Amino acid sequence: MRSVPLSMIPKGSKAVVVSILGGRGLMSRLMQMGLTPGTEVEVIENRAGPILIRVRGTVIALGRGVASKIIVSPLYR
Amino acid sequence: MSPNASYDVRNKYRCSIVVAVAGNPNVGKSTLFNVLTSEIAHVANWPGVTVERKEGVKSFGDKKICFVDLPGTYGITSSSIEEIIAREYIISGEPDVILVLVDSTAPERTLYLPIQILELTPKVVIALTKVDLMHSLGIHIHIDKLESKLGVPVIPVSAIKGIGIKELLQALVEVAEGKKGRKEPLRINYGGLEPFINEVMRIINDSKALKQYPIRWAAIRLLEGDERLEFLLEKHGEVDKLKKIRELREAIEKSIGKSPEELAIAARFNFVDSISKEVIIRVEKTTFMQTLEKIFQHSILGPAVSLILLFMAFLLAFAINTGFPLNIIFSVLGLEELASIIESYSLSSLLGEVFTYLSNIIYDVLTPNIPPWLTSLICDGIIPGVGAILSFLPLIAMIMFFLALLEDSGIAPRLAVSFNNLFTKFGLTGRALYPLIIGLGCNVPAVMASRTAIEDKERVQIAFSAPFIQCQARLVVILAFISAFFKSVLERTIVIISIYTAGVLIYLVTSLIIRRLLFKTKESPEFIIELPPIHKPNAKVVWWITWDYTKHFLKKAGLIIFTLSIVIWFMLNYGPSGQVDDITSSYAFMMGKAIAPLLAPFNLPDQTAWKIGFTLFQGFIAKEAIVEGVVLLSGEGVDVLEALRSLNLNPIQAYSLLLFMALYVPCLATVAVMYAELRNVKLTILSVIYMVTIAYVISLSTYIFLSYLASLIGW
Repeated sequence: MRSVPLSMIPKGSKAVVVSILGGRGLMSRLMQMGLTPGTEVEVIENRAGPILIRVRGTVIALGRGVASKIIVSPLYR
Repeated sequence: MSPNASYDVRNKYRCSIVVAVAGNPNVGKSTLFNVLTSEIAHVANWPGVTVERKEGVKSFGDKKICFVDLPGTYGITSSSIEEIIAREYIISGEPDVILVLVDSTAPERTLYLPIQILELTPKVVIALTKVDLMHSLGIHIHIDKLESKLGVPVIPVSAIKGIGIKELLQALVEVAEGKKGRKEPLRINYGGLEPFINEVMRIINDSKALKQYPIRWAAIRLLEGDERLEFLLEKHGEVDKLKKIRELREAIEKSIGKSPEELAIAARFNFVDSISKEVIIRVEKTTFMQTLEKIFQHSILGPAVSLILLFMAFLLAFAINTGFPLNIIFSVLGLEELASIIESYSLSSLLGEVFTYLSNIIYDVLTPNIPPWLTSLICDGIIPGVGAILSFLPLIAMIMFFLALLEDSGIAPRLAVSFNNLFTKFGLTGRALYPLIIGLGCNVPAVMASRTAIEDKERVQIAFSAPFIQCQARLVVILAFISAFFKSVLERTIVIISIYTAGVLIYLVTSLIIRRLLFKTKESPEFIIELPPIHKPNAKVVWWITWDYTKHFLKKAGLIIFTLSIVIWFMLNYGPSGQVDDITSSYAFMMGKAIAPLLAPFNLPDQTAWKIGFTLFQGFIAKEAIVEGVVLLSGEGVDVLEALRSLNLNPIQAYSLLLFMALYVPCLATVAVMYAELRNVKLTILSVIYMVTIAYVISLSTYIFLSYLASLIGW
C-alpha cells in the first residue's frame, strides 16, 4: 500500500489518512478537524486550486500546500 | 501572554449562574448567543489580547444567568491564543457550567470538542445546533442514547426557529446547581499510552505549577506536548519534571513509532467514532440545495456564478446609496441629466440634503441668540460631521447585509475557494476578493470587509492595503482631470486603466510586503475552510451579523469621523489671527502652503504649488473635495474644467499629480475605519505614512521617467 500526499488523489477516489507532515500546530489543527490517522476521506474536487474533501460527513477545502502535507493511502475498489 | 483569569462577571451583573459558551467556528455560536441573551451586555477584548469577548445576561425564572462567549475553537490544546483563552477561562473557577455547541449537521466532527472539554470538567451541557437543517439533510441523532453515553444533558436547539431554548436554559441551571449531569470528568481509554499517563501523573503529583488543573488531564496534555503547561513548569522552576516528561515523549516516539499527540487525538476520535456509530444515522437525500452545491463546486461555473452574484449584490448596494456606477455611466455617455437625477435621488444625496436643510434651519434659529463662532461650529462643523457619519451608514449596512447573506448561505466560503489560488501568490486567501471589489465603490466598507478573513494577520494585511483600491470618489477626480488635461480617447483610457491597475497591484503587493516584513512569514495563510451545506440564509441571522458590523462602525469609526470633522472645521475657519472669513488666511491654507515645497520636484508653475497643497489637504476629508478645492481657490463662478486648467499643468504633470492623489491617503472616514479594524494607533499612523511615501515615490518617479521620455522624443 503506497502512501502519497492527499493532493495526488484524483476526484471521486477515497483514501485513508496515514500521517500529517509539518509543524505541530498544523497537525493539531487538521487532526482536530477530524483528519486523524485511519480516517477515511473522499476527494470531491481536485483541479487547480484548493482540494475539496469530505471527511466525517462534512466538506472541507484545503489549500494545496496543506493538502500536500497530509499523507494518505489510496483505497481501491 | 497569559490571559488574566479573573474577570468577575458574577459581580458585574449580579448573576447567580455563569455559563461559558464553547464551540467550533461555524457552529452557530453567535446566533445562539444572541438568542440566549436578552441583550449583549458587553463586547470587549479578552485582557491583553486582541480576541473579542462577548458577555450577555438572561433572566430565567428567578435566576439571572450570565453568558461568556469563548472564542470559537476546534480543541483546547495550546496551539492558538483562542484555545488558550478558552481553556484558561474554563478552569478559572468562574463558570458554573460549560455550554458546548455541537453542529447537528456535522456531528461526527463537532463532537470532538465537548469530549475534550469533558476530560477537563464534568459540568457540561451539550446543545445540538441547527436541528431544523439537520432533518432536511437526512441526519438523525439518537439524543437519549447520546445523553446516556456522555452522562450530560444534550439539548436539540434551533436558534433561529427558537426551538429548545427554554429546555436549554433549564438544563444549564440544573447542571450548574449540581442537580443533573456528571460528577467526574470523562475518562477515555488511551490504550498504549495509559502506562505513560500514569507515570506522568506520578511525576506531577506534587507540582505547584499545575495544581489548578485536574491531574490526569494535565498528564495527558503534557505527554502531547502542551506549550503552556510546559511554560508553567519552567516558570515555577520544576524543570526536572519537564525533563523527565520529555524523555517519556521520546520513548513513546521510539517504541510505538508515532508521536504521543497523534496517538492521543486518535484515541479521542476513536471514542467519538464509537459513539457516532451508535447514535447517528444518515439518509441520502437529494434536495434542491444539493443540486445548487454541485453547481458551486464546479470549477468554472462555481466561480462564475459566485462572482456574478457578488457583483450584482454590491452594484445594487452602491446604486441605491450613491448612484454609482449608473451616474458615471450616464455622464460618460453624455446623458448628464439622467446622471444627476440618479445621483440626487440616491440615499446619500437625500441624506445630504436633509442635513443641509437641518443645518440651515438651525442656523436661522441660533444666529440671533448665540455668538457666531458657536453657530458656525454647530452648523458648519458638528452637523456636517454627524451627517458624514450617518451618510455612510446606509451604505455600510447594505454592504454588510450582502456580505452576511453570502456568508450565511454558505456561498462566501465557496467564493473564497474559487479565487484562493490567485491570492495566495500575494500572501492572502480568497477572502481578499471582497475588499477588492467593494473598494471599487468605497474604501470604508472595503476596510471593514477585512473582517471576513479568518486569520488575524490577513485582516491586518487587508485593512492596510485596501485603501489603495480606487473608490468612486477618486474616480470623480480622475474623470475631472482627464477631461481637463487629456484630449484623445486613447490617452484618457490609458490614464484610467493605469491608475486602477496601479491601485490593485499595490493592494496585492502591499499585502505581501506586510506579510513578509511585519509578520515575517514566508508562507501564505494556511487555507483550511469548512464548506457548510448551502442553505437559504436566515433573516434573523443575517440581520444580526449586519447589525453587529454596523454597530461596530458607529462606535469605533463614528467617534473619529466626528472628532476629525470638528478639527477640520477649525482649521478651515481659524487662522493665526483668530476667526477668518477668507480661506487663504486659515490654518488649513497654511498647511497647504507647507506641503508646497514637497511638490517642487514636479516643476509646478508659480501659483499652482500651494493650490495643489491645499487641495491635497481637502482630499483627506473627502476625495471629491479635491475638485471642490480647486474650484474654491479659483474664485467665484468658475466651472470645474476651467478651474483645473487654470493650474497650468502639462499632461505629464497632470498625470503624475493625479497618480499621487489616487494613492496618497484615503479619506478620513477610511482612516477611521482602519483604526477601528487595526485597533492600533501606531499601525494606523504607519499605514498613513506608508501610503503618502509610496504615493510620492511612485508619482515622482513617474514624472521623472515620463519627462525624460518626453525629452528624448523632443516633446
